[in-house]
Amino acid sequence: MGLYSFKLPDVGEGTAEAEIAAWHVKVGDLVTEDQHLVDIMTDKAVVEISSPVAGKILVLHGDAGQMRPVGSTLIEFEIDGVGNAKAEAPKPASVPAVAPAPAAAPSAPQAPVAAKASEPAPRPALTLVSPPVPTAPAAVTPAFATRLAGDKPQASPAVRQRAWDLGIELQFVPGTGPAGRITHADLDAFVAAGGTTAVGSVQARALTRDGVEEIKVIGLRRKIAEKMQEAKRRIPHFSYVEEVDVTALEELRQHLNGEKKDRPKLTLLPFLLRAMVKALPDFPQINARFDDDAGVVHRHAAVHAGIATQTPSGLVVPVVAHAEALDLWQAAAEIARLATAARDGKATREELSGSTITITSLGPMGGIVSTPVINRPEVAIVGVNKIVERPMVRGGQIVVRKMMNLSSSFDHRVVDGWDAAEFIQRIRGLLEQPATLFMD
Amino acid sequence: MPAMNMIQALRSAMDIMLERDPDVLVFGEDVGFFGGVFRCTEGLQQKYGKRRVFDSPIAEAGIVATAVGMGAYGLRPVVEIQFADYIYPATDQLISEAARLRYRSAGDFTAPLTVRAPYGGGIFGGQTHSQSPEAIFTHVAGLKTVIPSTPYDAKGLLIAAIEDDDPVMFFEPKRIYNGPFDGHHERPVTPWAKHPASDVPDGYYTIPLGQANVVRPGDAVTVLAYGTMVHVALAAAEDSGVDAEVIDLRTLNPLDLDTIVDSVKKTGRCVVVHEATRIGGFGGELSAVVQEHCFYHLEAPVQRVTGWDTPYPHAFEWEYFPGPKRVAEALRQAVEA
Repeated sequence: MGLYSFKLPDVGEGTAEAEIAAWHVKVGDLVTEDQHLVDIMTDKAVVEISSPVAGKILVLHGDAGQMRPVGSTLIEFEIDGVGNAKAEAPKPASVPAVAPAPAAAPSAPQAPVAAKASEPAPRPALTLVSPPVPTAPAAVTPAFATRLAGDKPQASPAVRQRAWDLGIELQFVPGTGPAGRITHADLDAFVAAGGTTAVGSVQARALTRDGVEEIKVIGLRRKIAEKMQEAKRRIPHFSYVEEVDVTALEELRQHLNGEKKDRPKLTLLPFLLRAMVKALPDFPQINARFDDDAGVVHRHAAVHAGIATQTPSGLVVPVVAHAEALDLWQAAAEIARLATAARDGKATREELSGSTITITSLGPMGGIVSTPVINRPEVAIVGVNKIVERPMVRGGQIVVRKMMNLSSSFDHRVVDGWDAAEFIQRIRGLLEQPATLFMD
Repeated sequence: MPAMNMIQALRSAMDIMLERDPDVLVFGEDVGFFGGVFRCTEGLQQKYGKRRVFDSPIAEAGIVATAVGMGAYGLRPVVEIQFADYIYPATDQLISEAARLRYRSAGDFTAPLTVRAPYGGGIFGGQTHSQSPEAIFTHVAGLKTVIPSTPYDAKGLLIAAIEDDDPVMFFEPKRIYNGPFDGHHERPVTPWAKHPASDVPDGYYTIPLGQANVVRPGDAVTVLAYGTMVHVALAAAEDSGVDAEVIDLRTLNPLDLDTIVDSVKKTGRCVVVHEATRIGGFGGELSAVVQEHCFYHLEAPVQRVTGWDTPYPHAFEWEYFPGPKRVAEALRQAVEA
């Protein structure tokens, strides 16, 4: 048997350190070659690290959420044959590893971000997406409490271990031992009674909830938090909201969707993208990236449109490159492809980089007004609110129209309000007269 | 086999080693002509001469320093400190020189000396004749620490200590030199002659360092003890009726972790007993290793029964000495927790 020391590789961008997003193995596991071991996060993306060897995990260096220098030992294996580490490598007992399962309290929460195995890369870009609400620890079984809120159950470590093994939450087990301690016999009785006998006479009642759960902000969530903070701290945002009558556009969209079955289904986004592509040449200061350290605005001829996408682990922004060169259906296909890739965690670093302006949409949850956060270092973000039918006055008559708000934010350091408003009005005009979207 | 008390067993060990190995020497205060304050070396000078068994000045630092130098040059000195309480002048030589020599010289030199020192209370020796300083030395990397509890173990462990290439602190529980003592000071003392552990072979044998001995099997609670306290723990198990498993550690460093862990995992409870004061005592280390290795098997907190945190009181010796009553109470508390 030999010892094999696996060092944290340079996972891209020449970074000096990277964050452990989530472990997928624990000490003592037997792993096969190429087995998914750990997720490592750089500034841009989560990278899945696979096992270079088959063997037994002896030591895991670092916990989820910790930074590790590139080149430092990440995992130590015991393998058949000759390893690459000297025999005096640290013994497993001498190095604190990731806490083994029994050490964690039964209700110990797992960081939601870290829980996901292969989520897509993070994006600097970001919009107004509420952070996922931390979920309560799973599998709290019985519905009755036997002690007052705030009274912690008392039990020996051996009893706690057994309760953990049995999946029993001690809070619900009555204790008959000295000073109310829970004994093995109490556990037996609890199990024998199906988990509720001891409190069977207690009527179901509304229980107060107590306790504070700490969810460490790590991994993708931390990246999002840092980017949002940086964007809001450095960019003086101003938002502009305008309503758009999309009745005609919706008719056209439904017509096109009904006409061509072999083409991708059109959502509103390709139309909006096309409107932006047509408008932006007249607003070069808006299709831009601002290097505020150097004091230079980089105006881009190409339109690389970021599409803010909600994924199970958080917000990412894949990029429709050269949107100006795509027709409506090509744009629709590319948006759909990228969204799927992002949700499946398959988006590449290239697909997640280089946008010059961003679109954000909450889809049917889109609300009335929002305040998008600019995807720094871009200078503008266009947010789509929900389409609703509203009574509108047209020619002195009240008519029902399909209306949608556009809520957009701009970097006021380099974009003036007048220009921003003019840009949005131009888009509005194109969307309200959809034929103009297709006229040169 | 002859019946020996612990003094005789220790003398037998030194006699055998002086005979077997010409590099072995015995020296210390009054160990030559007089045969030692407790007569452990009686007759050895007459048998092996003044070049191999000799008296030293009353200078503990000098005794140990000389032994370190002898060891470096290939001899195997066995030195006696009359009482463990007097060892402190020699601690610099032990800690700074003896313990480090092998490491400092990358193995070119060793300090294979054995330091014998009677320790512990129960004999009304007062402050300066009753201390238990073993924890000081277990803390020093490079030193080994041995404490026997029977004549049989004393001989086998002392021979192993003399043969060991590292410096060994060999603390002898003087309260049980002449017979086992169960802590019931009001009872007549039983001599070793009536105890099975006094069946000591005449010839050579060793007991490996680092091997504990389960002296009483049991299922309810593990008692970790050494020296005189082994006998106190056995008495407490009988008195309390608690089915205690009593482990005689025999060597504190190296420690037989496997035996300890196996037992505590079986019983789920642990009581540590020693004569030394509590704060910083070796019981703290034992308690910690049990917690580290057996935490999820523990049914109760690890308890310590120790001397009090005062100098050893002459007038209140039996109040200070951890007797079977206190140990039995701890056993009961452990099983009722």
